[in-house]
Amino acid sequence: MNKSLNITFTSLAFIIFTSCSSLQITEESVLNQAATGVTVSPKSIATQAVLANAVIYFEYDRFTLTTESIQALKGVVDLMNKNSKITLSLEGHADERGTREYNLALGQRRSESVSDYLIANGIKRSQLFAMSYGEERPLSLGSNDSAWSKNRRVEIK
Amino acid sequence: MKKISLFVLFVLPLFCASELFLEITKGSEDPFKVAMIPFAGNASVSKKLNKVIRNDLSRTGEFSLLDERLLLPLEIENEEINYQDWRLLGMDYLVVGNIVKEKNSIDVSYEIYDIQKRRKIRSSKVFGLPTQLRQLAHYTSDGIYESIAGIKGIASTKLLYVNEIKSGDIKSRYRLMLADSDGANEQTLLNSSEPIISPSWSPDGKNIAYVSFETGLAKVYIQNIATGKRESVLSQNTQISSPSWSPDGKYLSLTLYQDGNAEIYILRLRDRTLTRMTTQFAIDTESSWSPKGNKILFTSGRSGSAQIYELDLRRLNAKPKRLSFEGTYNAKASYLPNEEGIIFVHRSGDGLFNIALKYKKENFARILTESKMDESPSVAPNGNMVIYGITEGDQSMLAGFSLSGASFKLPASQGEVREPAWSNFLR
Repeated sequence: MNKSLNITFTSLAFIIFTSCSSLQITEESVLNQAATGVTVSPKSIATQAVLANAVIYFEYDRFTLTTESIQALKGVVDLMNKNSKITLSLEGHADERGTREYNLALGQRRSESVSDYLIANGIKRSQLFAMSYGEERPLSLGSNDSAWSKNRRVEIK
Repeated sequence: MKKISLFVLFVLPLFCASELFLEITKGSEDPFKVAMIPFAGNASVSKKLNKVIRNDLSRTGEFSLLDERLLLPLEIENEEINYQDWRLLGMDYLVVGNIVKEKNSIDVSYEIYDIQKRRKIRSSKVFGLPTQLRQLAHYTSDGIYESIAGIKGIASTKLLYVNEIKSGDIKSRYRLMLADSDGANEQTLLNSSEPIISPSWSPDGKNIAYVSFETGLAKVYIQNIATGKRESVLSQNTQISSPSWSPDGKYLSLTLYQDGNAEIYILRLRDRTLTRMTTQFAIDTESSWSPKGNKILFTSGRSGSAQIYELDLRRLNAKPKRLSFEGTYNAKASYLPNEEGIIFVHRSGDGLFNIALKYKKENFARILTESKMDESPSVAPNGNMVIYGITEGDQSMLAGFSLSGASFKLPASQGEVREPAWSNFLR
């Protein structure tokens, strides 16, 4: 009984002490924070020959194909039908507006749109690889409508 | 001509230190008025320390430091502070200190006096190696800030960011950088010829996660800061991006493109098991954890435009709740540490991208920045400051603001700087 009272008293005193005391006394040593860097060796030069040079353009924040894109893609379908063994890489891109991760996803939707069209026209899924660079690889460096419209694209390689 | 470009390539690495320079652009309305006397003891150490501490405190916007030329001669023998004189100068607090420098150590002791209440409110000592002078200064700043502002300071926290060096026709170099919260003490963590985006801290500050395109495809890597040891988190032949560490350090939320579309997954790091969190035909990405680890925020295009959603992780098959309704684009959100609101990128009607804040209790967003293309906000662990990327002319750099209304910039000496990520408290 006496003991528990004593504990209560001490904790009460502690609460009073910590809430009333306005002087803070601290002592600490500075941490050693070392850091080591890494260098990524440059990627080997792409060996795949460029099979198609068609660039498909898109509206802002959209990934649907336009009539012009479909015209351009018809040529790609013809080429693929003549060479059933070739594989294509579809690289989606976005303009610089908006966040980088959302643009990465948007670029992917664009390359998937191209992929979907090609598959719907008889190309095998295994011949296509859809990916995105988001806004990281602009073709045109300006910050205006003309540059942006060139950057919203899918490159077929 | 060929000789010249070879020369450029050779010389370039020498200029590769991009170093950020702090510029305080605006203070807040009603700051604490503080007189800080340059610490006694070693004069050259005192001068350096004084500069770093003054910068740290001014950058918060919550402190107005008395011009050094107006400082009163100090008479603190026998702890006699002339409170009346400091009061006449309009000061709320006085900071004094002493430095003891030895061959292998520097000890900094400092005291803070409350002028109104006429008493000492803090007496502290920090010590470290002579090479850790800036860190000593940051620890001191944090002690001063905490005693006066009442919340933990962030001077001794760190920043991650991406630096791109464009050089005419030569391909860009991308570097993932680590620096003190004032932009000093910059170190390269990764150097690559392919883009790097979305750096993220582990909660203990020892590891980082980021997206690198080094294989030609976006992949998430984890890297130990001290050893430089790194690994790709998943072997799947698919794009993986947007990593965010859970507050307990055990999970990473990620965006996977397994079926062509961006969907959010949670990866348990211990055994690399994946749990899918979204199943939507629209884009779902940019996940970020709540401070308690029971919810995630993410950006989704499911409404027809990018908007912010919150997913409760405790409930099975919970339906994401939409949090943003302002305009046609709200993305890359993160919680304030007290969870009272979210910070995100908002596109206004005139096409400007700015950083916005929406409190849980309010049904509108507050636009906090005003340039054209503001991006990737990251909130300081004390919730009082936000760092983000801005573009001025053709140059992108880091800028910051405090919720009390102050702002600052961190222009780089070289290249583009973007994608800042603020660490947790590191001690």
